[in-house]
Amino acid sequence: MTITTAPRKLGLASDSQLGGRPPRFEGAMKTRGAVPFAYDQPVAGLAHGVLVGATVAAGRVAAIDTAAAEAAPGVIAVHTRAGLPALKGAHDFLGNPPADPVFHALSDDITFFGQPIGLVVAETFEQATEAARLVRVTYEAGDLRPEMALAPPEARLPLAAMDRAVGEAEAVLADCEVQLDLEYRLPREYQMPIELNGLTAAWDGDRLTLWEPNQWLDGAARSYSEWFGIPFENVRVISPYIGGGFGSKGFAQGFGALVAQSARILGRPVRMVLTRAQIFQLIGGRTATWQRLQIGADRSGLLRAIVQDAESEAPMVGMWAEGTSGVTQIMYRYDAYAARQRAVRVNATCPGAKRAPGANPSAYGIECAIDELAHEIGMDPLQIRLLNYAERDPFSGNAWSTRELRAAFEQGAERFGWSGRSLAPRSMRDGRELIGWGVAAGAFPVLRAAGEARVELHADGTVAVSSSSTDMGQGAYTVVAQTAAELFGVGIDRVRVGLGDSVLPRAGVTGGSRMAMTMTGATWKAGQALIDELKSLAMTDPASPFAGRSNAVEVAEGRISLPGGEAAMEIGAFLTAIGRESLGVTRDTLAEAKQRPEDAWANWTTASRALPPAEGDFARYSWCAHFVEVRVDEDFGTVRVSRVVSAFDCGRLFSPLMAESQFKGGVIMGIGQALLEEGIVDPRIGRVMNDNLGDYLLPVNADIPEIEVISVGRPDYEASVLGGKGVGEVGIVGVAPAIANAVFHATGKRVRTLPITMDRLL
Amino acid sequence: MTTDVTTTFTLNGREVTLHAEPRVTLLDALRDRLDSPGAKKGCDHGQCGACTVHVDGERVLSCLTLAAQMEGRAVTTIEGLSPAEGEVLHAVQQAFLAEDAFQCGYCTPGQIMSAVACIREGHAGSDAEIREWMSGNICRCGAYNAITAAVRRAAVTLQGEPA
Repeated sequence: MTITTAPRKLGLASDSQLGGRPPRFEGAMKTRGAVPFAYDQPVAGLAHGVLVGATVAAGRVAAIDTAAAEAAPGVIAVHTRAGLPALKGAHDFLGNPPADPVFHALSDDITFFGQPIGLVVAETFEQATEAARLVRVTYEAGDLRPEMALAPPEARLPLAAMDRAVGEAEAVLADCEVQLDLEYRLPREYQMPIELNGLTAAWDGDRLTLWEPNQWLDGAARSYSEWFGIPFENVRVISPYIGGGFGSKGFAQGFGALVAQSARILGRPVRMVLTRAQIFQLIGGRTATWQRLQIGADRSGLLRAIVQDAESEAPMVGMWAEGTSGVTQIMYRYDAYAARQRAVRVNATCPGAKRAPGANPSAYGIECAIDELAHEIGMDPLQIRLLNYAERDPFSGNAWSTRELRAAFEQGAERFGWSGRSLAPRSMRDGRELIGWGVAAGAFPVLRAAGEARVELHADGTVAVSSSSTDMGQGAYTVVAQTAAELFGVGIDRVRVGLGDSVLPRAGVTGGSRMAMTMTGATWKAGQALIDELKSLAMTDPASPFAGRSNAVEVAEGRISLPGGEAAMEIGAFLTAIGRESLGVTRDTLAEAKQRPEDAWANWTTASRALPPAEGDFARYSWCAHFVEVRVDEDFGTVRVSRVVSAFDCGRLFSPLMAESQFKGGVIMGIGQALLEEGIVDPRIGRVMNDNLGDYLLPVNADIPEIEVISVGRPDYEASVLGGKGVGEVGIVGVAPAIANAVFHATGKRVRTLPITMDRLL
Repeated sequence: MTTDVTTTFTLNGREVTLHAEPRVTLLDALRDRLDSPGAKKGCDHGQCGACTVHVDGERVLSCLTLAAQMEGRAVTTIEGLSPAEGEVLHAVQQAFLAEDAFQCGYCTPGQIMSAVACIREGHAGSDAEIREWMSGNICRCGAYNAITAAVRRAAVTLQGEPA
């Protein structure tokens, strides 16, 4: 087993258990820059790859001239479509079998700008970079469809699976006293973790090792094993630390297959790290969406009907739909609701998941629309939300498992001072600055999935937990360590945690805010089984000091004893006494009926087995309410967020410090979405023009005010074994509409297209 | 084009000699040739700050600096900020840990090297000043509140001055 992280001594045992606030488990190593990210891992005999991307977005490669590149100093190989053997098709992430039994890591049919068409491998990164520039490519141009707005009707494909209907929404709408017809647009946005995407691949016979930052090691191992036709167990994916993911590192990708194939052909390890520009071109972000919301209400403000029509961008090859209805359908009470959505094929890379996929654009629409309704009838935006508070899930009809959203509204408003808000837009100012206060709510479904963990007790007194689950900064090491500390009543300094290696016990994707729920559950189950085994040994092992002395023993505060604490000894000393170095148990949390190998396989290596939020009798969601103050320069139209208070119901917080950092991170990414982030497409060539961090703007420190976060949750045992709900995704949901609503309050101008830049505001 | 140049400089207090092409950046030299992977590559364009190191005590973007320019200079990376072994962290590292001023930790070496310089430059006099002078280092996880607090805390420790 690989134990990759051992912490420093961190204070009192009680601080380190679940619900306590220990410092980040691996934090000291991170301050030293000493945690091994994927490209920090030394690999002997390494060759360096640089990807060659297409410089058109639609068409075909007519010819590639690699002679100059191959002749350049240090070049080992230039791979193109023609020279590469076919691989095998692999199941997709939902477990669907491949449409084509053959998979080519490179294609000459170009459907997006930057699509990989070659890989140059050289002795050094510099040599590979130079040689990649020497590859000469000619293209046959194809018909270009650069973006959604420019797509013809036939490019718009109905997505029946996204249809929603509760009652006769259009008929109810037609009867309403107040009817609003609104359109909202979100641009392409990108995850942009600071760690670049890429990998190092190395073969030893038919065994493949990958150092690849990846949020889902078992899913990636399955993809590689299928592409290369080798057993799953022959693929090892090592990813103990991920330099941010936000959805961008969820799957093994075609460039990974290419690099692994190159390493196999060349017989030496190859590392290829995408450039930042290539990440904009290849790694699908949150795709652009458009939605039309027609909402009908009484003059009193009671919401009666929502009719939603939406479109999202999809790739030319494959399919991806960014949901737009997930929050719309559950946030407020209504009499009737209808939604439909179309996918619009464009020449762009396949979109992907960015923090709170689906929920984010959905909340943007409904949380702006209800604000517009409040203004229409002259009601306070918080009051209209409370008036339309959904006492149960209006979509499934289920009771909420827990929904402390009212408390979030009330406590958030109290901390923010919402009662001091003036109703009329453009009625608050400070000198040249117009001031606006906005509110919006957010939600993200609880996605329940099984996990697996191994827990070991060692004679040296330590507790070790391992799983192939991953930590990309959300606090997995800390939460798992706290769970182990609580199980055995020891300080976190006695716990070791190993994560992020596919040889460890199985795990599904670290995404959709399920990691903490899954890993606390699996660690708890394995730990309880280990305690049982420890007690059994204590009473039965001939060498046990407790053998024959009692029919029960206790485990508490790191010690084992007779009932009442009598004859207590350290667990480590007990193991030594019975002649064991360690004692360990592995357990998964697959349901009894889902223990067959094919079920387990599907659970670890596909995303098909997570339970939907309204399965059974309850509807399970995390909730939040954001209160935002903006200051808008009246002359220049610049918007600054000057104050944020956000209240969250994420059930029981296992590790409040980690959760608060996640909450704030979500709010900050939401500020970026509202005010800065937009992939701008050149319609002539279909390229995202601002494909760098100087032109695609991420929030920097000076953009961010002090953010106050509040937890109003209570344990939700319908959501997870130990009462937590998802934390990481929900923080961003509702931030952008809260800012848009605040900008309207400040200026009287409603900007329905993000980001709210000065050209849109003036 | 590819004639190696020899550059001798001090890396974290130790003299090193590098034989490399003149186009090799300081960042790639540190990471690929000098066994110092603490500085991180996030953009290779000087836009993210993850590669920040100190050259003769000043913060520098190592991805925009050629290794061959380092002749006779003193380079300090995150690995050289505090003793490699033991419990002792630099005051800025301690403050980052205490404030949870990171999540994934990838931008952290650059943030900390910037923070040390920010304080040394006298740019940690107020939260507004810290935010401005720490804005060359992007943290996509969004730890900015805690980074500001950590710089404020470390500035008090290092200079005894009110933040």
